[in-house]
Amino acid sequence: MLKMTHLSKVYRTEVVETYALRDFNIDVKEGEFVAVTGPSGSGKTTFLTIAGLLETFTGGEYHLDGIEVSNLNDNARSKIRNEKIGFIFQAFNLIPDLNVFDNVEVPLRYRGMKAPERKQRIMDALERVGLASRYKHYPAELSGGQQQRVAIARALAGSPRLLLADEPTGNLDTQMARGVLELLEEIHRDGATIVMVTHDPELAARAQRNVHIIDGQVVDLSVDPRFHAAHHAASEAHG
Amino acid sequence: MKLHPMIAALRKHKAGVVLIALQIALTLAIVCNAIFIIGQRISRVNRPTGLDESNLFLVSQQWVGAPSADSADGVAKLDAMQKEDLVALRNLPSVASVAPINSLPLLNSSWIGSVSLKPDAKFSDKAGNARTAYYFTDEQAMSTLGVKLVAGRWFNAGDVQHQGFRDNPPHPVVIVTKAMADKLFPAGDAVGKAVYADGSSSPSTIVGVVARLQVPATGSWVNDFAWNATLIPTRLNSNGSRYAVRAKPGQLEAAMKAVAPTLYRVNPLRVLDDDSVKSFADIRAKAYRADVGMAILMGVICLVLLSVTAAGIVGLTSFWVGQRHRQIGVRRALGARKVDILHYFQLENLLIAGSGALIGIGLALALNLWLMRHYEMDRLPLPYTLIGVLAVLVLGQCAVFVPARRASNVPPVTATRAV
Repeated sequence: MLKMTHLSKVYRTEVVETYALRDFNIDVKEGEFVAVTGPSGSGKTTFLTIAGLLETFTGGEYHLDGIEVSNLNDNARSKIRNEKIGFIFQAFNLIPDLNVFDNVEVPLRYRGMKAPERKQRIMDALERVGLASRYKHYPAELSGGQQQRVAIARALAGSPRLLLADEPTGNLDTQMARGVLELLEEIHRDGATIVMVTHDPELAARAQRNVHIIDGQVVDLSVDPRFHAAHHAASEAHG
Repeated sequence: MKLHPMIAALRKHKAGVVLIALQIALTLAIVCNAIFIIGQRISRVNRPTGLDESNLFLVSQQWVGAPSADSADGVAKLDAMQKEDLVALRNLPSVASVAPINSLPLLNSSWIGSVSLKPDAKFSDKAGNARTAYYFTDEQAMSTLGVKLVAGRWFNAGDVQHQGFRDNPPHPVVIVTKAMADKLFPAGDAVGKAVYADGSSSPSTIVGVVARLQVPATGSWVNDFAWNATLIPTRLNSNGSRYAVRAKPGQLEAAMKAVAPTLYRVNPLRVLDDDSVKSFADIRAKAYRADVGMAILMGVICLVLLSVTAAGIVGLTSFWVGQRHRQIGVRRALGARKVDILHYFQLENLLIAGSGALIGIGLALALNLWLMRHYEMDRLPLPYTLIGVLAVLVLGQCAVFVPARRASNVPPVTATRAV
């Protein structure tokens, strides 16, 4: 489903080159629920933005659902984002001027879907996240957990091949976070491929597989001493 | 693209939307009427006089110590002086022809009267009557003025007489313009018919009809009879005289320069200043200076208004682009192409400008009614309103393009950045 091989991302200024990702390799199979963890600045978000075709990469290869995406133009990348990827952002990213129904409809409109099908999909998705009755509400009228559920409905409505979640519970309290996580697990049980970026080890533990990034590379936890150092630091910070 | 969510979003920014829509409406109302005024002025300025205006100029002079035109002897002496001038001017090598004349189209110095089909008639606007401007001239006027004879004959030397400025002798023959002939004789048989000038009991026979000759006055008060001219083959005698002069092709300047020395040689006791010899181009420019000025003023007002409105649209859209920066990134992340974002802002602008235009049409008609009531303006024709609507819509699209394009370049990765 998602395969990156020797992928690199370099941010260049006049005086310095910074590798956000270096010789990055990952292979996510269809139907997997993968948690991507790592300390701040490790490259988690860069990985997610490249995986979601929100940014280009500098070198290597990236196959998404069998398509090599490195040479695609902006329109083709937009089409893949729209049809194959569902995004769940930490900050929900709902459009405040639109009500719940219209928010969920946004990606479907860009797909040129007919109105009756759009409506059916929107209501199905809202039903699934338990917010069908709130379809006329505006984001400001909802709690954080409800907003994230709307964002999940928006991601699900287009029936994406891949769900990318960026710290989906990062802005929620424990109870709301639990609800959202249970929803993600349920979606996964229904066959969705989910890649979730998080810095929370407890959240990561709920995923089927964990991928750890340190200094822009995927590391093998059992042998890489950098993980132990990072894990120790994280534990102290939490503890 | 679905309009409902866009309208819903615009409702959240009511103040900006209403202000810009009202600005567009006001601009449309003023621009429609201003363009109409410009159109009217331009059409006034461009209407042909009936003269062949190139190489034509006018000489206006006054004698010093000339005999009085109140006595027959004085009139005879004045006519002799005028004939001396005519001979001298006609002999100039750069001059093609010269005709004495009391006025010219656009000169705003008119002898206005009325002509009737019946003797001793009082003026009325009923059939068989027509208001007219008189041109007193001679047999060389046709070639000098360049008017086009469409029926009958032109004056011959035997038709030409002279009269004192205040005299009112019979005028046995006249030539009229086609507009006047058609008004008096709708059957088109004016030549050979008799008319009576200014309530006279003496008939004047129409011997010819010219295609077109504008009256000297340019004000709106002559609009009803702007093309009703009557040519009378008579030299008017007073202490001054006017001569229409046609220079040979390419020799207008030389002919105009030669006039003053020539006339001074004939008789130095006269006044000829810088303004005494005027090309017809100058006469036209002076006559329509106010119209041209008004057209320019209206044009400037239109430009300023359109610029301010365009600036308003650019400003508001730029503000909205800044305000919705993250939202645009989210739309891009969810699959919007650059062109979708561009179209979003263009359509949004079209909605606002369209609403403004709808209000503006009403305002334009109201403003036109007010102008009609207070300033004798004509009714605003529909095409001007449609042109105005099209203008503000195009203006809106042009103004919104740059900020909309900036919006379309917001990268999708913006969606993942911290607020």
